Amino acid sequence: MLALGIKDYLIKTPRYTVTFRQFLTMNVDENDSLKIVGTLVAVEKEQQPTQKRIYIMAKKALLTASILAATMTAGAVQAATLDDVKSRGTLTCGVSTGLAGFSQKDENGKWSGLDVDMCRAVAAAVLGDSEAVQYKPLTAKERFTALASGEIDMLSRNTTWTHTRDTSLGINFAGTNYYDGASFMVMKDLGVSSATELDGANACIQAGTSTELAIADYFRENGMSYKAVTFDTSDQTRQGFESGRCDFLTSDGSQLAALRIGLANPGNAVILPEVISKEPLGPVVRQGDDQWFNIVKWSLNAMIEAEEQKVTSANAADMKANGNPANKRLLGAEGELGANLGLSADWAYNIITQVGNYSESFERNVGMDSPLKLARGINASWRDGGILYAPAMR
Amino acid sequence: MKEFQPIAARPAPIKTVGFTAWLRDNLFSSIPNSVVTLSVIALLAYYLPLIFDWAFWSANFTGTTEDACVKEGACWVFINAWSYQFFYGTYPVEEVWRINLTLVLLVMVIAASFTLPKSIRLKASITSWLLLPIVGIAILDGRWLGLEVVSTDLWGGFTLNVFMAAASIIVAFPFSFLWALGRRSEMPFIRSVSVIFIEFFRGVPVLSLFFMGSVMLPLFFAEGTNVDKLIRVWLVLIFFMSGYMAEVFRGGFQAVPSGQYEAADSIGLSYWQKILLIILPQVIKVSMPNILATFVMLFKNTTFLLIIGIPEVVQTLQTALSNSYWLGGHALEGYLFVFLVFWGSCFSMSVLARRIERQMNTDKRD
Repeated sequence: MLALGIKDYLIKTPRYTVTFRQFLTMNVDENDSLKIVGTLVAVEKEQQPTQKRIYIMAKKALLTASILAATMTAGAVQAATLDDVKSRGTLTCGVSTGLAGFSQKDENGKWSGLDVDMCRAVAAAVLGDSEAVQYKPLTAKERFTALASGEIDMLSRNTTWTHTRDTSLGINFAGTNYYDGASFMVMKDLGVSSATELDGANACIQAGTSTELAIADYFRENGMSYKAVTFDTSDQTRQGFESGRCDFLTSDGSQLAALRIGLANPGNAVILPEVISKEPLGPVVRQGDDQWFNIVKWSLNAMIEAEEQKVTSANAADMKANGNPANKRLLGAEGELGANLGLSADWAYNIITQVGNYSESFERNVGMDSPLKLARGINASWRDGGILYAPAMR
Repeated sequence: MKEFQPIAARPAPIKTVGFTAWLRDNLFSSIPNSVVTLSVIALLAYYLPLIFDWAFWSANFTGTTEDACVKEGACWVFINAWSYQFFYGTYPVEEVWRINLTLVLLVMVIAASFTLPKSIRLKASITSWLLLPIVGIAILDGRWLGLEVVSTDLWGGFTLNVFMAAASIIVAFPFSFLWALGRRSEMPFIRSVSVIFIEFFRGVPVLSLFFMGSVMLPLFFAEGTNVDKLIRVWLVLIFFMSGYMAEVFRGGFQAVPSGQYEAADSIGLSYWQKILLIILPQVIKVSMPNILATFVMLFKNTTFLLIIGIPEVVQTLQTALSNSYWLGGHALEGYLFVFLVFWGSCFSMSVLARRIERQMNTDKRD
């Protein structure tokens, strides 16, 4: 816009008197900008009475457009997602169109899953009601656009936290709610309990996936060999495994669990404990709204911390009144944790009573209380040998 | 006098009527044909019992959860449990009368277009067709009527396919007529704009248009201005459809003899009088089969909405298949169900279409 060589105009509003150049770099709210457009047009008319009308009109249109554009950019920086969510009364949360255990709809249209619980936790923290969520099912292609355009407040759609995404897409990952990674499934009667015993075995793999690369690396690293039997879709891979065309099947751990249930006799297959690639999945927010980023980040951490402190949905009320100082701080009986986030003092209490701590959410959706029967593995709390670790809650 | 000697009776002629004759003519007319017939019969004899066994005798019909599917065959419990979502999406149960009401209105408007007395039929049906999308949206969304607002991300299922197709074609209809007129116009600007529009939307795959609508379009909007995803793809469908229909109409315009245009000119009708009173009725009559064929195509195309995550019936099926409590592999039952629902509606549409064509075919009997 400035490169087009338009002169610098003086802008007078009830609140600001600035030059146009200055205006482009400052933050104003939308109401002010509307007034500015009005004033600007008037000023310009006085200044340019003799010029050709069409020339003025073109410049005016250009200026108005660029002011609006500038306001929008300014708006993006300032946008307070928290206020939007509060005034709307619901949280709009982007989820997957269907992924077993993570975001799934039941026959009655009710959403559940580990990713869905993340949305519910944030809704409970912000609005005090974990059901005040509007779920937007998104495909993998749409998810970042939907977040960038403001269609959703947060994205919780098994999205892998990668350097490229975090740094180049205008988004922030607010933590990891599931550490996934390529893993192995074998038939029980093979008598194998660790991937290191798989030397010389046949592998059922889906062609063209990153798993293909991960398994090649893993076997070379450990000085073992395997013979790949590739299939086009995950369903064909499962059938190949079931019909005995290979000794083990490899895919992302959470996918393996779903594939396992699809077997005619799921009890015959076991998933080995080794995880051979890094797929940390977590909630995502837009860049530029640090308060909202903090809220999502600490909603996740509150669930993890609650498990560490052994606070559950059942005993939270008791712990709030009679627990140790750490319990009381977490549950809002003491301290300023809620106020610092711009939330009420019982934000974490609401999460834990309505959604549960991380362990409850995990077991209900993907763990032992669910059909998927995933083991905690590295997703256990650091106290139990996993890598889930919430920063200090104080 | 020579005594009459009857010649020996000839064998009876091969029967040319009746069931055996039909069999001989159609199934056993030559050795290769007979071989093919016998092998098909053998295959059917082998597979039909298996299919029937899977679909009926060993199938599971009663129950509400996957655990009820204990028998070998099809798990129709899956379809039964999810049937509400397959038809209505996640629309609230207590509000579902609104979807049914809209469907009834749609059927009534279709019926009215063919059964009202001729004197009022044209005006009444055009008015009701144009009002239908507005009334439908008002009922389904509810905010204009003071009903409980049901946001569009709750809409879904097979009724969404029906509504999207119907709403697009109704809105696209008048536009496509204008595009067709524009393309035949003698004004260069209007003509080139029309040609570019029509050729763009006919030349681009509908999938890429859906991607544009769902992924690209929001990037051009200002921060905070969100046009609902369903409205975005509705617009895409309207554009796509009006491009296609414009060509159907253009064919119709070309089929009207030029004498009709000249006759209208010679009695001093204005351009719009000529088009609306003389030409358009003939155009619609000629184009009807193609319009209905295009509609059936659009209706089936609405299943493509699944690739942008709109919960129409196939997307709902995929969501259902990925539910961790229904992972036992019910894809076959599900897709068979979708197949039957679509085949049923498309077949009834073509029956209706044939009826309409017969009714409109006032001059040429064929």
